[in-house]
Amino acid sequence: MSTTATEAIRKTVLVDFPPEEAFDLFTARIASWWPVRTHSYGGEQVTDVVFEAHAGGRVYEVTPDGEQDWGTVRAFDPPNGFLLEWLIGEASSTEVEVRFTPEGPGSRVELEHRGFTASGPRAGYAGGWDVVLAPFVESASKKG
Amino acid sequence: MNTNGVLAALGDPTRRQIFESLRSGPRSVGELAAGLPVSRPAVSQHLRVLKEAGLVSDRKQGTRRLYRVDPGGLEGLRDYFDGFWGEALARFADEARKEQG
Repeated sequence: MSTTATEAIRKTVLVDFPPEEAFDLFTARIASWWPVRTHSYGGEQVTDVVFEAHAGGRVYEVTPDGEQDWGTVRAFDPPNGFLLEWLIGEASSTEVEVRFTPEGPGSRVELEHRGFTASGPRAGYAGGWDVVLAPFVESASKKG
Repeated sequence: MNTNGVLAALGDPTRRQIFESLRSGPRSVGELAAGLPVSRPAVSQHLRVLKEAGLVSDRKQGTRRLYRVDPGGLEGLRDYFDGFWGEALARFADEARKEQG
């Protein structure tokens, strides 16, 4: 049986900030714009989002109950870009890469989320989809 | 494949559990029900919803019908994150515009 790899997600957005500032806004100041209400585990409980600025750093949300990891920084190269291992469950991960390039007076921000594979579960995989989808599904259904 | 269907299907904790079980290999209704605190008819009902969402498929093997994760279901997850990043980046661009102005 062949391994099914679903095509990567690619998104591009243009901002007026030069790459240095755009990179800083995306990482160090992620809490100022990330839509936590709909894009987090804790929803309205989330008090902070932290992006640790180095390879091996964590990206996580903070709630009164504690912290919940979103992923791990695999490469951190300001102002060019960063690579995250984005968690989909405990042992199932995907990759999110964001690149910043100059475009006129501002920058082009390109995001790629890849690694949606059907290669089957790894040992120890449990509740993975539950972990990633439950909060998002709940907030999505609340919204509708 | 429709994303709303996928999200609705996985919005139920028992269905997520069934879906998780199938990630470790094909199972029959009976095998699934044995590991869950729900009846066989309930499992069948959940499987029907998961199947309609494109997350699982079934195949007859001898006298048994086996259910397994449909790789097409990954399309649903991908679609979900497609919307997820679209919204997140829109917020990012909004913030940049706000700070600029």
